[in-house]
Amino acid sequence: MNLLSKSALGFVALAAATGAAQAQDGTAFYNGKTVNYIVATAPGGGYDTYGRLVAEYMQKYLPGSTFVVRNMPGAGHLIGTNAIYAAKPDGLTLGTFNTGLVYNQIVGNEGIKFDLNKFSWVGKAAADPRVFMVAAQSPIKSWADLAASKEPLNFSTAGVGSASYVETVILTRTLKLPIRMQTGYNGSDDQLAMRRGEITGTIASRSSIDQFVKNGYGRMIAQIGGTEKDVPQLKTLVKAGSGQELLDLIESQSEIARLTAASPGVPAPQLKALRDAYRKSMEDKDLQARAEKLGLPVEPAYGEEIAKMIATALKQTPETAALLKEAMEKPKK
Amino acid sequence: MTDAIWTGLINLVGNPHTMGLMLIAVMIGIIVGATPGIGGRLSIALAIPFVFGMDMTQGAVFLLTMHAVNGTSGQISSIMFGVPGDGDDAATTIDGYPMAKKGEAGRALGASITASGVGGIIGAGVFAVMIPLLEPVVLAFSPAEFFLLAILGITFIAFLAGKGQIFKGIIVGLFGMMLATVGMDPQTGTARYAGDYLFLWDGVSIVTCVLAVFAVPEMIALASRGGSISSLSPELARFSYRQLFQGVMDVPRHWFLVIRTSIIGAVIGMIPGLGGSAAAWMCYGHAVQSSKTPERFGKGAVEGVIAPETASNAKEGGSLLPTLFFGIPGSSGMAVMMGAFLILGIQPGPAMMTQNLDLVWTLIWALVVGNIIAVSFLLFVTRWVALLTFVNGAVIVPFILVLVSVGAYANEGQWENLVILMIISFIGWGLMRYDWPRAPFVIGLVLGKIAEESLHKALGLWGTSFFTRPLSLVLIALIAATIGLALYNNLRGKNAMPVGAGS
Repeated sequence: MNLLSKSALGFVALAAATGAAQAQDGTAFYNGKTVNYIVATAPGGGYDTYGRLVAEYMQKYLPGSTFVVRNMPGAGHLIGTNAIYAAKPDGLTLGTFNTGLVYNQIVGNEGIKFDLNKFSWVGKAAADPRVFMVAAQSPIKSWADLAASKEPLNFSTAGVGSASYVETVILTRTLKLPIRMQTGYNGSDDQLAMRRGEITGTIASRSSIDQFVKNGYGRMIAQIGGTEKDVPQLKTLVKAGSGQELLDLIESQSEIARLTAASPGVPAPQLKALRDAYRKSMEDKDLQARAEKLGLPVEPAYGEEIAKMIATALKQTPETAALLKEAMEKPKK
Repeated sequence: MTDAIWTGLINLVGNPHTMGLMLIAVMIGIIVGATPGIGGRLSIALAIPFVFGMDMTQGAVFLLTMHAVNGTSGQISSIMFGVPGDGDDAATTIDGYPMAKKGEAGRALGASITASGVGGIIGAGVFAVMIPLLEPVVLAFSPAEFFLLAILGITFIAFLAGKGQIFKGIIVGLFGMMLATVGMDPQTGTARYAGDYLFLWDGVSIVTCVLAVFAVPEMIALASRGGSISSLSPELARFSYRQLFQGVMDVPRHWFLVIRTSIIGAVIGMIPGLGGSAAAWMCYGHAVQSSKTPERFGKGAVEGVIAPETASNAKEGGSLLPTLFFGIPGSSGMAVMMGAFLILGIQPGPAMMTQNLDLVWTLIWALVVGNIIAVSFLLFVTRWVALLTFVNGAVIVPFILVLVSVGAYANEGQWENLVILMIISFIGWGLMRYDWPRAPFVIGLVLGKIAEESLHKALGLWGTSFFTRPLSLVLIALIAATIGLALYNNLRGKNAMPVGAGS
C-alpha cells in the first residue's frame, strides 16, 4: 500500500515536472485539488440537494479531490451563474443553475454576463416536465373544462420575468387560454393560495407540486415533456398554429434540468475527467438509491449532448425572440 | 388521542439515544443562534447530511430542537452588545441593550431567556390545541389580510416613537419603507434603485440593516464615551444570581403579557408568509401599546425584552403546523426542514394526523423539553456571559465590530453587504446622535415589503373590493383604533409636556 501510494505520488510529480502537455490523464490533475461547486440558490431547495449529491459523488470519482459546495443565491440565479462563467478556466470551478436562463439570454436581458453556448457543459441529472395543475376544489376537471371556461381563471406565477412567468405567458397567449395571471407567488405561496381558493391553478414543474397532488389538494390536467403516463401530454390535446416554436422551446427546456457546468475554456483532459466522473456518479447505485429516497428523479445526459441541446434552444428566429421578448414584459393593460 | 400524547412523550424521554441527540442539537442550536448572521435555515441545511443515517423520530427531533432553540440564544448578543442576530432579535435590542447599559444585563438575560423558554412551551401548547382548528384559521388569511396585518404593524410605529416624537417616528418609518422598495419589482419585472448591482435585485439585506442601525452606532458611542457597556461597576450593579433571578421572576410577574404575546407569535407563525420578524415586532408594539407607562420603553423596560422573545420562540410551534399537516412550509427555515423530513421518510400532509400521530406528539414534546434544556443551560452560564458588559469598551468594541461584519457577510455570502453596512451605519449613527427613534426603521423595512407584495396580489385578485371581506373589516377597525389611540396619547402627551419640561 505504502509503496503504491509512493509510486502514485512519484507519478504525479513526474507528470507535473514534464509539463501539462504530457499530463494526458485529466483525472490525475484533480489529485490534491480543491474544486468549487457553486449552487446559484440558497441552501435547501432542489438545486442545492442535487448539487450536493453530484458534488459528493464526483469527489468520489476524482480521487484525491475535495469538492466544496458554495451557495451563491441572488437575482434569480444570475449572481451564481455569472460567477461560474467568470471563474478561471482551470476546471476547478463548476456549478448548477436554472435552465430558464435560456429565455433571458434569447431576449438579452440585463444582468447577464455569460453566454450559455460557451460554458463547458458537464451533464444534467434530470428532466423536469411542466404540468398544468388546478386546485382540487375547482370545477375544472380536465383540459377541456379549462379551455372551455367562460370566466378567466386565476393562475399564479412567480415574479414578472421569472421562468414560470414566461412559460405561463407563452402558453396562455399561444393557446389563447382563459387564464388571468396573478404574479408574485414565490416558493410555496401558490399552494396555500390554491387551498384558500383565490388561485385556481398554476403551470409548474412537476417535481415541485408532486407532494401537493399526492396530498389530494390538486390535480394535474396536462403535461409538457417527461415520460410519465398518468397525465395526458399537452401535444395530444391542442393544435397550436402560430407560436409552435415557443411550445417546442418549453418542451426542450423541460428535458434539461439540474445542470452541471464548468467555466468556459476548460482544457480538454480536465473536461473529459469531469464528464467521466459525472457519468460514473450518475451510474453509481448508491447515488441512485439516495436520489430515489429523496424523491429526486435521475435521468442523466452528458457533455456534448447538453451543449447541443442548449445551442438548439438558443438558436431562435428573430420572430420567436421578439415574441418571447414581448412575453417577458408586462402586458399593457 | 390521549394514548398518542403519552406514547409521544415516552418515545422521546424513554430513549437515551434520542435524548442524547437532543442534547447535542440543543447545544448546536444555541451556538448557531448566538452567532449573528447565521440563521436557523442555514444550520438545518448544513445538518442534513448528518441525519441520513438516523431513524425517522430521532432525525426529526434532532433538526426540530436545533431549529427551535435558535431564538433562545439569539438575544444574548442583542442585549449584551446591541448586536441583534437577525430581524427577530432586533426588537429585543431596543430595551435589552439599555438595560445592559444600566448594569442590568443579568436581569435582562434572565428575563429574555425565561421568556423564550416559556414562549416556546406555550407555542407547543398552541400547536397541540390548534391542530383541529388549523384549516379554518390558516385559510382565513389571504393577501388582503396580509396587507392589513402589515399596515397594523406599521401603525405601531406611532407608539414606538415615544411622546412628542410621532413625526420623527413616521419619517424614519417611511425611510425604512422606502428602502424596502429596492430590488426586483414582482409586478413589472423591473429592478428598482438597483443600478448595475445584481445583489440589490433581492432587496436590501434586512440583517445588514439591523446590524447597521442598532449595533454599529452603539459601538461608536461606546468607543467615544470610553468605559464599559454598563455604566455601573459590577459591585454597584450588585451583579449576582439575585439579579438573574429577578429577571426570571419578571416573566411570571407579567404573565398575562407573556400569554398574549405567545399566542400572537404562534398564530403569526402558523400563517405562512408573514415571517418571524413580523411576529417579534408586532408583539413588541403590542407590549408598548398595552402598557400603562409606554414612556419607559426604549430606555430599558423589561416588558420590551419579554414580549418579542416569547413571540419569536412561540412561532416555532406555530410554523410547524402547516409544514406537517399541509405539507406547505410556513417559512424558508421550515422549507428546508420539510426537505429533511422527506429524507427521513416522513411524508408531511393530512395523513400525518392518522398515520403518524405518535410522531407529531413526540415533536410537540421535543419543543417543550428542548426549550427547558436550553433555558436551564443558558441560565446557568449567563452569570459569566453577563460579566462581559463590565469589560472595558476598548477591548470589546473591535471584537464586536468583527462579529458584526461577519454577520453582515455570512447571511447572504455577499461582500457588497459590507458596503451597505457602512452606509446605513452612518444613518443609524446620525439617528442615535440626534435622538431620533430607530425601531420604526426596521418595522418599515420588514413590513413594507410584505405590505407592498400583498397589496398588489389583493388588488389583482379582487380589485378594491377586498377591503370588504369580513376579516379585513375587523383588521381595518383595529388599525383605526390604533391610530386613534396613538393620536390621543400623543396630543395628551404634548399638553403635559410643559409640566414635565421643568424636571
